Amino acid sequence: MKTNENKFTLAELAESVVFENRLTPEERKSADIELAEARRKNRERITGNQQLYAQVLQLRFLMEDYAKSEIFDQELSFASFLRKYIRLNYKVNKKFANDIDLKEAELSLILNRRRLPNEKTIVRLELHSNAMIPAISWYRVLEKEKEHELLSNTAFRQKQDKHVKNRLNLELQEV
Amino acid sequence: MMEVLLLKTGEPKNIVVEQLEDSDFKNITKSRYHFNWEEQKANDVFKLRLIESDEILGLMSLKVHRDEMRIEIVLLACSIENMGKNKIYDRIAGNLIAFACREAIKLFGADACVSLLPKTELKKYYISQYGMLDAGRQIYVESNSLFNLIKEYKV
Repeated sequence: MKTNENKFTLAELAESVVFENRLTPEERKSADIELAEARRKNRERITGNQQLYAQVLQLRFLMEDYAKSEIFDQELSFASFLRKYIRLNYKVNKKFANDIDLKEAELSLILNRRRLPNEKTIVRLELHSNAMIPAISWYRVLEKEKEHELLSNTAFRQKQDKHVKNRLNLELQEV
Repeated sequence: MMEVLLLKTGEPKNIVVEQLEDSDFKNITKSRYHFNWEEQKANDVFKLRLIESDEILGLMSLKVHRDEMRIEIVLLACSIENMGKNKIYDRIAGNLIAFACREAIKLFGADACVSLLPKTELKKYYISQYGMLDAGRQIYVESNSLFNLIKEYKV
């Protein structure tokens, strides 16, 4: 079926456009009440598993957006994301450490930012989430942290200075 | 990685959905994108493009209803070359809708909802095409229907 307005069928339109539908304030209010009621009924059937699924997805998207952003935030560390991940489904860290075959003390060092996780741990995190949060998402958050450390740790840079000799002479001559 | 389908060859092409910048408006004409998108500046407007190109294949305007933990798709359009039986790329609108689902999950977690207010004659098509649920005048996705879109479009 073709519409008179244009040369597209209704199915083709639905595949490519959502029109702005302007309602009167009264119509809008009534439509919003209808929607809220439908959602309320739907939510009565939502299981704990569905809630967990959504929360894990939320964490993944927040991690991915943060890793992509230009901003470094001291509070958004690998450890802080891992802490949130653990809290989604565990009351105590020990149980989680056990589930990914990590010593509790090692997990504690990672969570307290005294040790960085190795690749084994990152891959186990992916496996633990059933790949809902891929290893690469964890890795990118970690990389961002390491990148910031590399750029901002002047004491470390100064300490390395004495180990370097025969530096390239790249001073430009004036012509 | 999200992707659209190049219909001529069936080849998937990687895409990105990102916030529209002010400088984009000069390239967004009504003849190509169907609406006056400048009118959507009060909302969050996103563009979909191929990773390898700056050309905008689709646009979407979102309104966040924080008190209802819901994102409303106010307006969405594929570029004119990507509409109808001769379109170049497929799955543009679906990717944009799935991206709206991602934004909703990010903001509202387990309470996330994406809704739209369809033209009456198009409602049944959105329901069958995107698995949307009927709420009278509005249609929406949340929970499983929303997760399904995120999964299907590899968001």
